[in-house]
Amino acid sequence: MITTITIFFPLLAAIAMVALPRTADSRTIRYTALGLAAVPLLLALYIYFAHRGDLGAPSLTQNLNWIEALGIGYRVGLDGLGFGMFLLSALLTLLAVVASWDVRENLKQYFAILFIAELGMLGVFAAQDLILFYIFFEITLIPMYLLVGIWGDEHRRPAAVKFFIYTFLGSTVMLAGFLALGILSGPNFSIEALTGGNLPRGAQVAIAAPILFGLLVKTPAVPLHSWLLDVYVSSPTSTNVVLSGILPKLGTYGLLKVALPLLPQGVEPYLPIIAALGVINIIYGSFVAFMQPDLKALVAYSSIATLGFILLGAASGNALGINGAVLQQVTHGLYSALLFILVGVIAARTGTRNIRELGGLAASMPWAGALLTIGALAAMGMPGLAVFVSEFMTIMGGYVAFPIAGVLAALGIVLSVMYLSYMVRRTVFGPVEKPEYEGTQDASPVEMAATVPLASLLIILFFFPGLLINVQRPAVELVLAAIGGS
Amino acid sequence: MFTAQTFLGLLPEIVAFVFSMIVLMVGVFASSGSKGLVAGLAALGAVATFVVAAVLLAAGFDGSFLGNAYVVDAFALYFKLIVAFSALFAILAAVRWSGRTGDSPEYLTLILSVAVGAMLLVSMRDLFGLFVAIELATIPSYALVAFDRTRRESAEGGMKYLLTGVMASSILLYGIVLIYGASGSANLSDVAQTFTGSLSPVALLGIVLLVSGFAFKLSAAPFHFWTPDAYQGAPTSAAAFLSVAPKAATFAILLRVLLEGMPDAAPTWTAVMAFLAVLTMFVGNLFALRQRNVRRMLAYSSVAHSGYILGAFAALRGAGVDTAVQAVLIYMAAYAVMNLGAFFVIDLVGEDSKSFNGLFKSRPGVAVCMGLFMAALVGIPPLSGFWGKAWVIFAGVEAASAATYIVVGALVINSVLSVPYYFGIIRNMFFEDPVTGAEKPKGTGIVLFCVYVLAIATTLFGLFVGPLSALAERSGLL
Repeated sequence: MITTITIFFPLLAAIAMVALPRTADSRTIRYTALGLAAVPLLLALYIYFAHRGDLGAPSLTQNLNWIEALGIGYRVGLDGLGFGMFLLSALLTLLAVVASWDVRENLKQYFAILFIAELGMLGVFAAQDLILFYIFFEITLIPMYLLVGIWGDEHRRPAAVKFFIYTFLGSTVMLAGFLALGILSGPNFSIEALTGGNLPRGAQVAIAAPILFGLLVKTPAVPLHSWLLDVYVSSPTSTNVVLSGILPKLGTYGLLKVALPLLPQGVEPYLPIIAALGVINIIYGSFVAFMQPDLKALVAYSSIATLGFILLGAASGNALGINGAVLQQVTHGLYSALLFILVGVIAARTGTRNIRELGGLAASMPWAGALLTIGALAAMGMPGLAVFVSEFMTIMGGYVAFPIAGVLAALGIVLSVMYLSYMVRRTVFGPVEKPEYEGTQDASPVEMAATVPLASLLIILFFFPGLLINVQRPAVELVLAAIGGS
Repeated sequence: MFTAQTFLGLLPEIVAFVFSMIVLMVGVFASSGSKGLVAGLAALGAVATFVVAAVLLAAGFDGSFLGNAYVVDAFALYFKLIVAFSALFAILAAVRWSGRTGDSPEYLTLILSVAVGAMLLVSMRDLFGLFVAIELATIPSYALVAFDRTRRESAEGGMKYLLTGVMASSILLYGIVLIYGASGSANLSDVAQTFTGSLSPVALLGIVLLVSGFAFKLSAAPFHFWTPDAYQGAPTSAAAFLSVAPKAATFAILLRVLLEGMPDAAPTWTAVMAFLAVLTMFVGNLFALRQRNVRRMLAYSSVAHSGYILGAFAALRGAGVDTAVQAVLIYMAAYAVMNLGAFFVIDLVGEDSKSFNGLFKSRPGVAVCMGLFMAALVGIPPLSGFWGKAWVIFAGVEAASAATYIVVGALVINSVLSVPYYFGIIRNMFFEDPVTGAEKPKGTGIVLFCVYVLAIATTLFGLFVGPLSALAERSGLL
């Protein structure tokens, strides 16, 4: 019940936002949104502290028959695989509300739409039924389209349309795979009942293809990534937080939660391809990031590169790699949200996102510069920040399964050091590029409130990764049992 | 012969007919100040029809009458509900418009007459009765399309609709006659006994002509070309009604003819249906992409949706039959709520896609409703259209033939193809700034009420899918 309440509270929040009186000033609206966004986070934190020990098989479940003839049900529950992201979705929505300073028009609607997106995100990570999973998966789509299309920059319209068509194509193809899977095995759409895969190998292989395609478009894996850049660059900062922090993980989470355990034999022939795509993401993302003059585009490609480690870990099929992938989903969300917010802060102060026009920000913005450096170090996978732990695990796991891929992925870390250190050097340090940057204000209290929690979590999770790994490990073991790995 | 049971079975049609006559008479004799009375009576007629059909359905009424030529089962009653439902909304949406023209009694009578014909149609088990019922539903609809005397497109659309409609009727009749000649009976259960094994050329030709005639009525490609002109010319409420009620009834009777009349010829006609379905989807969507007029866009969209529903017909064999019948039932209900709503919004905003610009800022409520209808027509979950499409895919996977896999593939591709034009409207409403000097918002009040009700129904459709599919289980057709 508490799961359902947490998922659907954002719907109430969205209605409440719309119902605010016309006369409400922006301050009232922001504080109301902040209060409403805090509720799902508090509920998720309560679940963490009360139930973190028993999140192996889905717990706190709720099962209601929906369409009995086809075995479709409203089945929700939380397990270790999705709980980290469930918690992160609530957290990043709250931070997105905090970081919404560049949204000035139609604030009520902005927050209402953001909350609808949150409903979809929380739902995906709690769904225990394929149809329900798909519904929540798609519920995120239109809000994101609207957030970018209404509140983005001047290039927002084509970016939003491209994003929508691309990812809708992916998810519709995936739906056909889901429906085939459910119909042929029963019909039954309960993820728990389908775990282990009951279909003959040939059918599994055929069904896995559309499902993997849809998930890899969402991630995005590199040849399918062309929707990503425009929409990231055109989004307002607070939409970026959710767009980069949570949405790609819908794809990778689907890989871990649906594709692997439900079609173990079907996914098997594709695993080398997924691992290869992961490595391509890492190498290609790094190289292209190197060439970006736009700070936001650089962070976007760095994000593509880091997502490659999740693909590699998931494809490894061993405990180390999958645990690393599950953890990397959370750490990637933390650092990419941090970087995108800071890029927003810098762009607001200096009026540019062009790396070549920036420089010497450390002098006037020591706090923002320090936080940006932390974010960049995290993105490089440096020890001291949690991304190191998860990337290391995925590389080790990947090395065991696909040695060459493991080596190349490790090489990718070197590449990321190159372009991220270049970025930090050009923006934070060095001579002050333009005289007008001298007097720029450092991060305001609101901006600090949006970024310091993310940076702190990255540090805390480096020293105590067990806070999340212990929660996810029992669930990962169930996945391993389903795919017959070790 | 004509017993109390027969009377009971025909009660929905009788009620609708009586009310249509009352509306006409009151319209003639009432003073011009009593437009509200006329509209109220017509709406009451639709509600009464709906209630009667619902009571019969709930009571499990089942029987065949008039020498097994007329059958009232759960399947037929279900479609009568859809017809009465859409008639009610068409009448409500027409109140203000038809009140202005001063011809509201005639207009509302025509809507009820089409409803009577459509409701008779879904119960026919006799091919000649079927033809009579189709004509009963079609002839008033020519008048409905041409009703708007202030617009030239209306007369043009009506004329085109009449000419192609008459041709379609004659093709259909020719097919019926050939089938009658080949089987020696016009009753579907007798036809089924003769249409076994390999079919004679005459019987095959009969089936082809029959299906072609139906394809005209369903605006399936390549027999769809009357649709955009007719829908563009027709008054909005008529276009909305005609795109739902007669179409639902025609799909229902096609299902009955194929399943009851020629089950053994299924391999032949499922292949034909698969071909028609794929062609219709592509034609509808590709032509809709080019439209700037929202009426024409929705007309091509209705062609595309006919294609999706025909996709379920391709799965009417083997293990897929049950699910395919469910798919038609669910899709029609889903389509009724979302498509009626989308058409009614035209009355509130305008038919040029530019007139939707900036609607989110000027009238957020209407914009959100239209956004829901458009997203539902694309098939975004959990809105109504998603369930229709999902069921067609279910049926295709269960039937598990090469043809149905092709249909499923085409459906997926076409869902994506349809995004640009449906979401073009959403883009105009949410992303663009209002055009200055645009048309003033037109008729509100009752149309707005209809739009809100239909938007809620579209959104919460998922909650009713379970009962609807259970209803299909006992539809009596299988």
